[in-house]
Amino acid sequence: MEAKKVAEIATSAGEILLSNGAEAYRVEETIKKICSSYGFNGECISTSTGIFISISDQEGEFVTSVKRINLRRVDLYRVELINSFSRGLAENPLPYEEAKNKLREIYNAPNFSLGIRLLAAGLTAFSYAIFFNGGILDALVSLLISFGIYLLLEYISKIGSFQFLEYYLSGFIIGAVSLAIGSFFPQINKDNVITGAIIVLLPGVALTNGIKDLLYGDYVSGFAKLGEAILIIVAMSVGIVTALSIFMKWF
Amino acid sequence: MSTVQLLQVVIAFFGSIFPAVLFNIDRKKIGWAGLSGALGWSAYLLVFNVTQNAIASTFVGAVVVGCYSESLARKLKTPAFEFLIPGIFPLVPGFTAYTALRYIAENNMSQALSKGVLALAVGGSIGFGIMLSTTIFKFFTKLKNIRLYGKS
Repeated sequence: MEAKKVAEIATSAGEILLSNGAEAYRVEETIKKICSSYGFNGECISTSTGIFISISDQEGEFVTSVKRINLRRVDLYRVELINSFSRGLAENPLPYEEAKNKLREIYNAPNFSLGIRLLAAGLTAFSYAIFFNGGILDALVSLLISFGIYLLLEYISKIGSFQFLEYYLSGFIIGAVSLAIGSFFPQINKDNVITGAIIVLLPGVALTNGIKDLLYGDYVSGFAKLGEAILIIVAMSVGIVTALSIFMKWF
Repeated sequence: MSTVQLLQVVIAFFGSIFPAVLFNIDRKKIGWAGLSGALGWSAYLLVFNVTQNAIASTFVGAVVVGCYSESLARKLKTPAFEFLIPGIFPLVPGFTAYTALRYIAENNMSQALSKGVLALAVGGSIGFGIMLSTTIFKFFTKLKNIRLYGKS
């Protein structure tokens, strides 16, 4: 196969990996593995926002490809599919068309429907409200709030990338709604409601992947991801504190 | 372990499953992800009952979650973070962090500082627990490869 086509396959595999929350070393290793399974020598640098690939063939010609990644979400299933795709290529290098089809299939792999994800978000809040010693009533309120928050996040992320706004608003709404409900119904403890609801917003993936990137020596993307996690936590905290300090006077 | 603590382990199991669904985990591995959280929290409780120290207990919990994820990832041939990310959810100091925020809103800075530092320390010990287990596993994998194939 020509170097150009290999570069195309490697780039789209890397794009799927990076935009679905894989670590930098995984992106680099996968791209190198794909190149070497077609008999080329590939080099790759991945940061948290883009991939640079350079492939050299036997005559010493270089093919270079750069891809900027804008969409960033978390999808462990797609990362796993690409992982097994590149393992399979090493044993049996597929022809160009087949590999392209396989990648398209992975790109369109099934996701949980919005209803199930909504339910999962609600039940996450529900379990953690109880986990931190809350009652069933606190947990139910927490569940309802996180329904709303998840819908809001889904809506804002469709418009564009407004990470700070998303998390600030969510924190603010969680704080304000819990305070209001807690003051109208004295049997509900607002502290337990809030702790349950904020767990859904936790940047767990950015945090763990940032640490892993640092361990593998990818300092650029490691600190970028840790910075992203800190930004999310700060935005959320500032939102909650704003809501609490404004409304505590009234309720 | 008391009954309340056993109940907490059960909730930790479900509390690791639901976030994993949000991250679109492979449907066949949902149970394994839940087990990761339950194991981590059991380790936390076992250490906490002896030492009464949240930071040390969280560290041990994170190390257990890390070792479990890395060994299961090698067995099932999938990325380790599929079990690592759900597993740390129960260990996150959500309540302490929120209490610190509430003290800030109430203008009670000395309490806010003490709770905030505790939340930071617990969060940091999760990070270092994962770091330790991942590096150890990485080290031994390299060592095994060098022994078997003479290269890394």
